[in-house]
Parts: sequence; structure tokens; C-alpha cells
Amino acid sequence: MSHATDVHAHAPPLPHAPALKMGVPIPNGKLGMWLFLGTEIMFFTALIGTYIVLRLGSKGWPTNPDITHIRVWAGGTNTFVLITSSVFVVLAHEAMALRNYRRATNWIIATTALAFVFLGIKAYEYYGKYDHDILPHHVAESSEQALSKLAVELDAAIGLIALQQEETHLANEVLAKQGQGGVESLEKQLASVRANIAKLNPAVEAARPLRDGAKYRQISLAEAAEQLRRLKENPDVGRQFRSVHEPHPIKWGNTFASVYFTMTGFHALHVVIGMIMFAVIIWLGLANKLGPHHEVAVENCGLYWHFVDLVWIFLFPLIYII
Amino acid sequence: MSQEPGLAPAGEHAGYHGYPRVNYWSVFYALCVLTALSVVADLVGEGRSKIIIGLIVLAIACFKAMFVMLYFMHLKFEGKWKFVLLAPTIILAMAIPAALMPDIGSHYYDYEVPQTTESAAAEHDAHGGGSPGEAAAAPEH
Repeated sequence: MSHATDVHAHAPPLPHAPALKMGVPIPNGKLGMWLFLGTEIMFFTALIGTYIVLRLGSKGWPTNPDITHIRVWAGGTNTFVLITSSVFVVLAHEAMALRNYRRATNWIIATTALAFVFLGIKAYEYYGKYDHDILPHHVAESSEQALSKLAVELDAAIGLIALQQEETHLANEVLAKQGQGGVESLEKQLASVRANIAKLNPAVEAARPLRDGAKYRQISLAEAAEQLRRLKENPDVGRQFRSVHEPHPIKWGNTFASVYFTMTGFHALHVVIGMIMFAVIIWLGLANKLGPHHEVAVENCGLYWHFVDLVWIFLFPLIYII
Repeated sequence: MSQEPGLAPAGEHAGYHGYPRVNYWSVFYALCVLTALSVVADLVGEGRSKIIIGLIVLAIACFKAMFVMLYFMHLKFEGKWKFVLLAPTIILAMAIPAALMPDIGSHYYDYEVPQTTESAAAEHDAHGGGSPGEAAAAPEH
């Protein structure tokens, strides 16, 4: 060994410049996901904060579950479902770190199955709101509005107004085209419409007292509800009025419905987006294409899913309990 | 890193990127218990002050969120970058509620909407006032 080599062996190490590392010590993909989650925090805080402000600013709020059709058991079950899915997705991430890709795929499949359960329960809840017409812009908030809404729904159930409009339109056209060709065809259509209007007579006559009473506010809500019940039991035309809702006002019901559907709707949309991400991972897993380079992707999907869980953790008490 | 309840010692059992192995099922049980507590608070608090029940269930929600963020999202084991990233977000997130509160959340003026005018008419009738009787007869929902 040469002398020069010995000198190097005993010399103190040269001060090396530290490796230049820009940014934060995490993978770029993960940093991107956290930045995205930052915008999501702002988005959902705005929605939830607006709900709290609107509720504090209202002189009342519908809280009776028989009126709002908010079911604590449904919200609680969905909380349990999302918490369980959060465990599954973090176990998938752990399995990825241990290079057990089959197990990771299975955990992601289980997570996706729970996402379907969540959406199923949510669909059941939405159906309840739809069935009782607790939708933004649909809720009557005073007795007068409830009676007006009843009259409108009766008209829609009878279907007379649309036919009358069509009749007027056709009659005007027939008049305008007198002496020209093609009038016979129009007259046939007009006769057909008039025949259909005549067929509606039994329903029109059966509903007339209730419809007029509601439209001109000559009856009380209790009387209207009783008359509607009897109309629905009418063996000849009752079937036609099944879709008409019992008239009852829900004060602040429109604001309630707006914030309920905005918050839970955007949350459900995030659940669907998470399911699409999981579908890609499941496809890679089933095709035996998952590898070490997918660890960050699975972790990012997990972070997103935990955020979806976090949002629900706050929505559950705010919507279902308070 | 000192060992904490629910955590296995770091080393050969350390998880991805050096996270200590967490007993995720313990966290899950804690979250289930807290969810059940929320429902119990709702049942026990039936007919009591909504503000107190609200504060209790929101405090429980904060604990649940903390568990999810610390252990499932591994924020407990991340570096200080998490504060740099999340602190501005949380401050900005308060902007809309803060902007809305003075006008919509707290009223310094009387406002007339169908709900309040009908309540006023019902109150008027209840105190021996004249018509509109229909408004008085309307069921309070």
C-alpha cells in the first residue's frame, strides 16, 4: 500500500456539503394529497360553518325526527360503517408495506364493500326525504303555503292543466289555419285532446271541493288533510292522487333541506370518488400488478378515505343529534 | 421514540417509512365506544338543553377526529411539516363562517318571514285577538 493511501486513511473526513433537499421530507404524491386535503378542509368547513351560522340565525329549526325523517340509527350505523372501513384501508396500507399485495387487495375490496353499504343506507335516507317531499324549495313553511302546495299537487295529479293548455294551443292553430291545408289533422288532434279532458271529469269532480277549498283557502289544514284522505280512498279515482302529500307546514324546512342535501350530498360524492380510486387499486391487485411503487398511491387513497370518515364524524352529531 | 399504549416497539415491527406499528383495532374500539357515547348523550339528553347536548357530542366528535388523524392518518408520527401545511388551512377555513356570522348568525334587527308572521298571528289569536283564525288553527311543526 502506498504512503499516499495511508495519509488519506488517517485524515479527517472532508466537510461535505449536505445533500440539497427542497420541500418537506415526504414523497411528492403524498405532499400533493395533503395539499388537496387542505383545500378539502376549507371546503367542508365552509359548508358545516354555514350550516351552524344559518341554524344560529334561525328563530327555529325542525328537529322532530317524525317530521324531518332524520334517523339516528341510520346515521349511527353509517358512522360505524365508515369507521370500520377506515380500519380496513389502513390495514391495506400496512399490508402494502409488508409487500403482501394479495392481503392489501382483499382489505381494499372489503373497504369498497363497506362504501356500498354506506351509500345504500344514505339512499334509504334520501328516499325518505323524497317520499315526504322534504326537498329544497318544496317545503311549505306556513299554513297558506301548505294549502297552495296542495292545490298545485292536486292539479298536477289530475293532469288537466297541461291538457287544457294543449287544447288552447291547438284551437288557436285551427283558427289561424282556417281555409288552408292541414286543418283536418289539427282538428283530429284537438278532438283527441278534448276526449282525454272528458275522461278526466270524474277525477276533476271528485277533487274539486278540496282543490278549490285549498286554492282559495276556504278550509283549514285539518279539514284539507281529512278530505285528502277520503279522496285517496275513493275506489274510482283515489289511485290518481296517491302522490299528493298531506298538507302540513315545516317551518324553516327549506333551509334545513338545503343544508342537509348540500352537506350529505357532497360527502356522498366524495365517497363515490373514493370508490373509483379503490376500484383502480383492486384492478391492479387482481391483475397481480401491485408493487412497491404503489405503496404511496395506496397510502394516499387511505388518507383521502380517512378524511371522508373525518367529515362524517362531524356531520353525524351536527345533523342527526343536535 | 418512547413506547406508548397501543404501539408496538419500533424496529423490526416498524411500519412503512418508520411509523411505529399501531394496534389499529384498539383505535377502532375507542372510536366505536365514542360513537356509542354520542348516541347515549342524545338519548339521555332528550328534552334537555340542545346547547349542552351539542357541546358534549361535538367534544366527542373532536376526540374521534383526533384518533383518526393521529393514528389512521399517522399525523402523530409525521414531522413538523404538518403544522406548516395545516395551520393556514384551518385559519382560512374559518373565513366564511366568520364573514357570515355578523349578518346571518346574529340579528340586530327584526325580520319578517312567513314563519314568524304566522307565529305572530297565532300568538295574537291566543291572546284574544281577532282573525286570521286559520293561522291560529295551523299545527305547529
